[in-house]
Amino acid sequence: MQSLGIDVLFKGSNFLRLLGGLWVSVRISLISVILSIALGLVAGVLMTSKNIVLKAVFRVYLEIVRIMPQMVLLFIVYFGTSRIFGWNIEAEASAIIVFVFWGVAEMGDLVRGALISIPKIQYESAEALGLSKSQTYLYVILPQTVRRLIPLSINLVTRMIKTTSLVLMIGIVEVLKVGQQIIEANRTTSPNAAFGVFLVVFLLYFLICWPISRFAGYLEKRWAA
Amino acid sequence: MKEYLPLYRDALFLTMRIGWEGILLAFVIGLVCVLILHFRIFVLKQITSFYIELFRNTPLLVQLFFIYFGLPKLGLKISPALCGMLGLGLLGGAYMAETFRSGLENIPQIQFESAESLGMSRMQTFRYVILPQAVSSSVPGLVANVIFLLKETSVFSTVSLMDLMFTAKDLIGMYGRTVESLTLLVVFYLIMLLPVSILGSFVERRMRHAEFGN
Amino acid sequence: MKNSAKAALLGLTFALTGVLGMTAFADDKVYRTLDEIKEDGTINIGVFSDKSPFGYVDENGDYAGYDVYFGNQLAKDLGVDLNYVSTEAANRVEYLTTGKVDVILANFTVTPERAEQVDFALPYMNVALGVVSPEDAPITSLDQIGSDDQVIVISGTTAETYLVKNNPEIKLQKYDTYAEAKTAFENGSGVAWANDNTEVIAFAAENPGYVVGIPSLGSNDTIAPAVTKGNDTLLSAINDEIVSLGKDNFFHKDYEETLLDTYGKDYEDTLVVEGGQIAEASTEAETEAATEAE
Repeated sequence: MQSLGIDVLFKGSNFLRLLGGLWVSVRISLISVILSIALGLVAGVLMTSKNIVLKAVFRVYLEIVRIMPQMVLLFIVYFGTSRIFGWNIEAEASAIIVFVFWGVAEMGDLVRGALISIPKIQYESAEALGLSKSQTYLYVILPQTVRRLIPLSINLVTRMIKTTSLVLMIGIVEVLKVGQQIIEANRTTSPNAAFGVFLVVFLLYFLICWPISRFAGYLEKRWAA
Repeated sequence: MKEYLPLYRDALFLTMRIGWEGILLAFVIGLVCVLILHFRIFVLKQITSFYIELFRNTPLLVQLFFIYFGLPKLGLKISPALCGMLGLGLLGGAYMAETFRSGLENIPQIQFESAESLGMSRMQTFRYVILPQAVSSSVPGLVANVIFLLKETSVFSTVSLMDLMFTAKDLIGMYGRTVESLTLLVVFYLIMLLPVSILGSFVERRMRHAEFGN
Repeated sequence: MKNSAKAALLGLTFALTGVLGMTAFADDKVYRTLDEIKEDGTINIGVFSDKSPFGYVDENGDYAGYDVYFGNQLAKDLGVDLNYVSTEAANRVEYLTTGKVDVILANFTVTPERAEQVDFALPYMNVALGVVSPEDAPITSLDQIGSDDQVIVISGTTAETYLVKNNPEIKLQKYDTYAEAKTAFENGSGVAWANDNTEVIAFAAENPGYVVGIPSLGSNDTIAPAVTKGNDTLLSAINDEIVSLGKDNFFHKDYEETLLDTYGKDYEDTLVVEGGQIAEASTEAETEAATEAE
C-alpha cells in the first residue's frame, strides 16, 4: 500500500506553514469571541428591553444570523462593501466582522436568557439596598451572567475555529487551504498525500479544540451556580 | 438568472433530503449515546464519550473526506448520498448527544429522588419522569442543532454532492455572475431554513412546560 | 409565530438588500490604473495556490507555476513588488470587479460570458480537452456514455464548462480539487475523467490501466490574463508585455521551467501561446493566425 504521504509534511517549511494556517484560524476565532463577549453583553442587556422597535430589530438580527450562510456574509463584507461604498476592508478584518456578527447574536441571546433566569428577588434585593439600576447590573447581575457565559462562549470558540475554513473564499490562507496547497503541490510525487495531510489537519483541529472544550466543561462544573 | 432556477431547485431537494436523513440519524445516534452515558454502560460509555469528543472537535469536511475517499481504499465503496447522510449523522449525533445530556442535567435531582421514593425503577423513572422533561428542555438546543446541521450541508461539495452552496460556487466559477448566484443562494437557504426556524420557535414555546420556578 | 414570520421577512429584506446592494457601484472607478499601481509600488495578482503546475505554493512557501512565472516577470518589468492573492474559481471575477486585485492570472479560460464582466488580455496558453477512462472500459466517444454513467470533472475547469454547454445530457460528478477527482476516479466512481488533455495524458502515462480514449475534445480555448473592466492602462501594459516577451520566446521558457516535468516536451508547442498569437500548429511549421487582441 502506498505511503500515506505524511512525508510531504517534512519537506521544507510545509509543516510550519500548516501550523501558521492553524494560528490564523485560532487568531481570528479568539479575537472574534472576545469581541463577541464584550459586545454580546451589551446586546443581551438591550435584548431584554421592552421597547418594541428594539425587540423587532433584534429578532430580525437573530434570524439573519441563523439563516444566512456565512460564506455569503463574508462576500458581502469583503467584496460587497467595496462595490457599494468603495471601502477596502481587509480580508482578515472582514472575517472578524462576520464572526463577531455571528458571535454577538449567540452571546446576546445567551445573555438575555441568563438575565431572564436570574431570580427576580436579586433585582428586588438590590433595589431594597438602594443600588441604582446600573449599579445593580454592574455589581450584581453581570458577574453572575459572565460566569454562566464563559463555558458557553468557549464552546463558541471551537465552533468558530471549525468554521474558519470558509475564509479561504476571501483569500485568507488558513490551515485547510495550506493543507490543500501542500497536497496539490506534491500531486505527482506523492499521490496519496491527501490522506496523510488531512489526517494531520484532523488531528490539529482536534488538538486545539478538544482542550478548549474540556476547559469549558471544567469551568462549567466549577461555577455551577 | 432564470436558467439557474432548476439547478437551485434540484440542489434544494438534494440538500433537504440528505440533510433531513442525516438529522434523523443524528437524533437516533444522539439518543442512544445519551442513554449509554446515563446508564453508565461499561466500555460503551468510554467509546461513546470518545466518539462525541472526536466528532464535536473536528470539521465535517475532513470527516467526509475520510469516509468517502478512505473507505473505498479499504474495499468499501460508498455512494456520495450515503456518505453525506452518514457524515452529517455522525457529526450531528455528537452534537445531539450533548444537547440531550445538558437537557438531562437541567432536571433537578429531586425528580430522580421523588420517583425513587415512589417506588419507580430506574427505567420507569427515566421513561415517564425524566425523558419528557429532558426532551422539553432540550428543544431550543435541538432546534439550533437542526439548523446548524442543515447549514453544514454546505461542505457536501467534498463528496461531489450538488448541494445549494456547491451549486452557487460552481455557477459563479463558470459564469462569473456572483450577485445573481448568491441572491438565489440566500433565497433558497431561506426557503429551506425559515420554516424550520418558525416551526422550531413554535415547538419551543409549546414545550416550555419543563420550566418552573421562574 | 407571526412575529417569527415578520422578523424573518424583514431579515430577508435586509439580507437581499445586502446582496443586491453589491450590484451598485461606488462612484469612483474600482480599479487602479497603471500609474497608480506603479506609484503604490505593489501589484496585486490573483493566482491559484493549489492548482499545480499552474499556480501552487512550493515547500518554501513561495508561489510557483506557469501562471506565476509570468506574474513574476510582469511585476519585474513593471518595476513593482508583488502581492499574490490566493483565489478560488468562484471568486476570480469578483476580485476584479471590486478591484481587490489588479490582475487575475489564475488559469482563466476566455469565455464570452466572462468577457462581459472582465477585460481579457492577449492569451498565453492553449487549452484542449481530453477524456481518460479505464483500459478495460475505454470511452472513445462521448456517445458511449450512458444516461446513468457519470463523468468526473473538476469544478471551475474548462472541461466542466465545455461539457455543461455542449453535452448537457452527460451527468457530471464534480469535485473541488484535483486530488479528490483523481481519488474518486481511481475508486471507480465515474466512467471517465474529463480534463485538460495534457493532464489526462500525463495521468495515463503515470498510472497503468488507464487510456486516453478521447485525446482531443472540442475546439481550442485559450487562457489569458484578466483585468477589471475598463482598466485600459493596465490592459495595454500587459498586452505590450506579452508581445515583447514573445520575441524572447518567454512562454516557451516558462513551459520548460514549470510544465516540462509534468507534461513532457510533446505539448510545448501546442500549449504555449507566444506573443499573444494563436498559431495553427502543424507538425512541421507554424502558420500565423489572426492575433486575438481584446
